Amino acid sequence: MFKPTQTAYILKESLAGFHRRKLTTGVTILIMGSALLVLSLFSIVTINIGALLDHARTGIDVRVFLDDAMDDVAASELHRHLSALPGVRQVAYVSKEQALVEFRRELGEETELLDAMEENPLPASFHVVLTEKAVDADRQREIADDMRRWPGVADVAFSEEWARLLDHWRSVFTTATLIIGLVVFIAAVFVISNTVKLTVAASARAVEIMKQVGATNAFIRTPFLVEGLLEGLCGGLFAMAVLIAAHAVLRPSIAGLIFFTPAQIAGFVVFCLGLGLLGSWAALHKYLRL
Amino acid sequence: MAESDLYNGPLDPRTVVGFHHVELSYGGTKALDDVSFRVTNGEFVCITGPSGAGKSSILRLITMDAFPTAGQVIVRGMISTRMNRGSIPRLRREIGFVFQDFRLLEDRDVYENVAFAQLVVGIPGAEIKRNVMRVLTQVGLWQKRRQMPRTLSGGEQQRVAIARGVVNSPKILLADEPTGNLDPAVAQEIVDLLFEINDGGTCVVFSTHDHDIVRSFGRRVLLLEHGRLVSDEERRLGDRRKSRLTDGMYRPREEIEREARARETAAARQLEGE
Repeated sequence: MFKPTQTAYILKESLAGFHRRKLTTGVTILIMGSALLVLSLFSIVTINIGALLDHARTGIDVRVFLDDAMDDVAASELHRHLSALPGVRQVAYVSKEQALVEFRRELGEETELLDAMEENPLPASFHVVLTEKAVDADRQREIADDMRRWPGVADVAFSEEWARLLDHWRSVFTTATLIIGLVVFIAAVFVISNTVKLTVAASARAVEIMKQVGATNAFIRTPFLVEGLLEGLCGGLFAMAVLIAAHAVLRPSIAGLIFFTPAQIAGFVVFCLGLGLLGSWAALHKYLRL
Repeated sequence: MAESDLYNGPLDPRTVVGFHHVELSYGGTKALDDVSFRVTNGEFVCITGPSGAGKSSILRLITMDAFPTAGQVIVRGMISTRMNRGSIPRLRREIGFVFQDFRLLEDRDVYENVAFAQLVVGIPGAEIKRNVMRVLTQVGLWQKRRQMPRTLSGGEQQRVAIARGVVNSPKILLADEPTGNLDPAVAQEIVDLLFEINDGGTCVVFSTHDHDIVRSFGRRVLLLEHGRLVSDEERRLGDRRKSRLTDGMYRPREEIEREARARETAAARQLEGE
């Protein structure tokens, strides 16, 4: 597309902003890098909370307490029914005796209370574990309602509140990340377009001469676009460098901390390049009359 | 303007610039009104008239920096009403341009300023060196090639600008008031340089409102007033070069050429030594 002398010129001119306006360009990269750092921090927190929630949700379960009057035949029929419900992963039977053992274990030292009782007060129950898809609150209520209608079922206890809370926090962090992403997006494009604008202004005469001697518009635009691209890249690398260093420091003290995968890092860098390109494109669109 | 008013006939291959009932308006004000003329290969044309008469507009239309609101401009076979805007850069490579205020790049030296015009259109490096040497020698500034523009006099700066204007070997050289910022003696030197370039076969069109230059100008003069072409006369004031010989102010052409060749040889030697 471009001849060797032209390519050399483009490369040299793309760096013009870097060596002629070191302070402006440096500040731009710093501002953009910091904004990207905030964004990537929020992404990391969201990713980690998400993983935490997914992990916690696998533990969400429903307890179906049975009437003492229920016989074994009815119980095994109920067991089959529960196992067949959509969204149910696993059903375990907990007998009155097992319930008492568990309860004792949970009480620990204060078992005298139980010893004082003549009869085991705990009901037998089914411990129902839901699949991850069924862990949202609405689905749990459906399942609970279905179970309550079953004869011999005394009560159904499920972690609706807990699930609601988890859902709430996940959506809060996802929304926050999206909003911050949008703000960072606008800020990055703005600061980059501002520095490229300075380069465009400083190059006004050169651009005029280029037009006059018949340089193509693509040739005239390319150095400005490359400058924005490089600034985006530097901002992104800055953010990534800080983040990787922080991760290296924090990893030993936070167990199970999840970091970006290489693919996500590559995506992040592409995102930064895109921001740079968009910033310089905006500047050219507004200030470069060809 | 009716479609029939547009020129649809065959293009005369000798026509370098053709204006066909050209009108140019900027927001209601007519900068040019029904202007028609033709410039053929190798011609040397002076456009004159008071400020605001439309001289610069004509030059802008030739480089297709502006397009007529009515009528047609034809430059090197490209017709303003039928051309693809994408081919404008190709057209401009055949047109050299010199501004009144020189417009040199202040952060580049003389050599780089001239080389810049070659660089950005993709001429190979070795060729750039040869061409820049040729034109800087022609304008007599090869010795000052490493100086920055602001260290040069106005006349010298304009010579650099002319060198830049012709380095891509254009078919047409346009000069918009090239002597406007210069004192009369220097102005005459610049006009003589334009004559010399024209002698090499390049068609030269320049605008000026300098009466002294127009009066002594022995070629075609287009006179504009209020955007209208009021006269188009071919002047025959005798061969100016012969009169130069007789009045002793100018040297014979052979001598000038001999000197130019000597300068080029010296410059070539110096270039090889670098």
